[in-house]
Amino acid sequence: MNKLFPTQEIGSLAKPRWRVKGYRGKPLSKEEITEAVDWGRKLGIEDLDELIKLLSETDSGDRKRAILEWSAKYAIRFFESAGLDVVFAGEQWRSEMYEHVIRKTTGFKFLGRVKCFDYRYFNKAACIDKPKYVGSLYLDEFLFAKENTEKELKVPFTGPYTLVDWTFNEFYEKRLSGEFRNFKKRKLEAKREFLFDLIKEVIRPEISKLVDVGAKWIQIDEPAATTNSTDEEMELFVESFNETVKGFNCTFSLHNCYSNYKVLAKHACKLRNCSQLALEFANRDSRQAGIGDPRTGYKEIELFEDYGFRGNYGLGVIDVHTNSVEPPELVRDRILHVVKMIGDPSRIYVSTDCGLRTRTWETSFQKLENMVLGSELAKRALK
Amino acid sequence: MICCYLTGILPRTKELIEATRAYDRGRVNEKELEKAFENATLKVIDTQLSTEFSYITDGMLKWQDLFRPFTENLSGVRIGGLARWFNNNTFYRKPIIVGDIRRKKSIIEEITYIKYLPKNSLWKAILPAPYTFAQLSENQFYTDKIELMFKYAKILREEIEGLARLGFKYVQLSDPALVYKPIATSMASDELSLIGEALKVAVKGIIIKTCLQTFFGDFSKILPEALDFPVDHLGIDLYETNFEKLKEYSFEKGVALGLVDSRGSLVENEDELVTVAKEIMESIDSSKACEVFICPNCDLEFLPWKRAEEKTKVISGAAKRLKEEFL
Repeated sequence: MNKLFPTQEIGSLAKPRWRVKGYRGKPLSKEEITEAVDWGRKLGIEDLDELIKLLSETDSGDRKRAILEWSAKYAIRFFESAGLDVVFAGEQWRSEMYEHVIRKTTGFKFLGRVKCFDYRYFNKAACIDKPKYVGSLYLDEFLFAKENTEKELKVPFTGPYTLVDWTFNEFYEKRLSGEFRNFKKRKLEAKREFLFDLIKEVIRPEISKLVDVGAKWIQIDEPAATTNSTDEEMELFVESFNETVKGFNCTFSLHNCYSNYKVLAKHACKLRNCSQLALEFANRDSRQAGIGDPRTGYKEIELFEDYGFRGNYGLGVIDVHTNSVEPPELVRDRILHVVKMIGDPSRIYVSTDCGLRTRTWETSFQKLENMVLGSELAKRALK
Repeated sequence: MICCYLTGILPRTKELIEATRAYDRGRVNEKELEKAFENATLKVIDTQLSTEFSYITDGMLKWQDLFRPFTENLSGVRIGGLARWFNNNTFYRKPIIVGDIRRKKSIIEEITYIKYLPKNSLWKAILPAPYTFAQLSENQFYTDKIELMFKYAKILREEIEGLARLGFKYVQLSDPALVYKPIATSMASDELSLIGEALKVAVKGIIIKTCLQTFFGDFSKILPEALDFPVDHLGIDLYETNFEKLKEYSFEKGVALGLVDSRGSLVENEDELVTVAKEIMESIDSSKACEVFICPNCDLEFLPWKRAEEKTKVISGAAKRLKEEFL
């Protein structure tokens, strides 16, 4: 991008109640409909009467699709109105980053909920057969977004390493059970086979379709990238990324968050065709203004630089887990601090730490507006 | 003697999971939630009894993580933010050490369903080992983690003595941090002997059986030092340990063989487990080892309950067959 300090959100935005209940065919309260109308007006959405009519209708297949389209349109306008340079549909089209893909692919079976922490669980699937691509994962969502914005689009795409790491691997472990006496080696080999089959059978066909219809930038989301921090596993992760993006005429970036950046830094320069690393830093940082000492959260950039990473940074300057809104001056100082560290301002894309799905739309909007203002301030400071 | 038991927190049953989620959303009250915990506890105890496990745990269904009863009940400890539980997609709350740690009352008595543990069975309790507790806590008070480890070991001893008085016959100390070393190659011998000293503080001379259960890492990396640890049994995660390496040593202690994978849903083949167990037992000279336990490699909580239940049957089946062969 020619512009200095382009701004982007990572991917997700909270789903409004009218989207969640509407999609499930549940009746909406007056207050929930008003919320849809108020935001619609604020974002300059046209034909709101149609949405109101739709939300009052009974459930049908067409209605589900229409609600997805409305919510995607809202999310695109949301990002545009906040002033972002790069936009997408806020993942309104997806149930959740993991389930969305697994449910649209064959070879998997959900086994039930397992503990994540406290009384929180996640629905975990097992791979019970070779994964097969049976229909597009993100194609409709992308085509809709493309029709509805003039801005640059970035498609968030759940990465294969994370999908495999979050899934029980019954099929491949069973297949190898006679071959290895060493259980550890067997599990790793089974993981490798699962991973590369998934890439070949599901991930690359989807990327191919997206590229064919005009996707120019795909962000591979790999929150699990450093969960297993041994060199062996990290090499597997790097290999999986390189295999995923190999040969496509498209820009790719990697998003990784709440992870061990010491480990990622060591391996990041081996990622091929990775134009940008979108990383979280704001939540690790102090909220005090200034360049230098207060910027404790950004010290790991140095590691990436030392290990030879020369791509762009999707620089997390907005903490997605707090309600307090970062002032533009703090955003500015975070950017300028990193400019000083890496010397080249053109390598910075100003970003949120992660998707904003856990914040309300009000908070998210204020955070994004200030992120945009902060980028402008940083630009001015450099002039 | 060949026995079997469980080695950690069990998964909550489907009904209990629904109850806890409903509780979080304000749709179920404390009393209803408690009832759901009791029902699930009875169920997991019953599973252990029907599969003839040698020692019985209450399943630890209320434990939000391995440290939580300590984080909540020790003075000098504050509950911290979420941190990743080793290389799992599971998180624990970091104990923050803000003052001198003290045990004012029993730590786990309240959270344990002692009333449901059958009187005629042998009871097992599971607690965090000193090294893992110290490593995974955030120390804001003591000079270093070594001082914290020894302070905690002293508290642990009081707790274990209390558990023995309550009727427990076995205590497992879970020590994943001791073997989970994804980057470092191996631990220094003097560090291991310090850990051994801390274990002495915690369990030396304790009248009930003790086990140091390692998991998420290669047990062979702490050999031969671990053979001198003052515990009756050593627990080994066979999904992380190169068991060929074990054969180089002669064990004069009992071993708990983590032969069932708690982090994979594929139900193991009993024949294969029996073969592997036999091979290990013969090679580590287990004629001297008075006891061998067949067990899961770590807490079964990484699985949905149904799969965990199937795996308990495999454990019990393998143990029975080995008993017959080694009689």
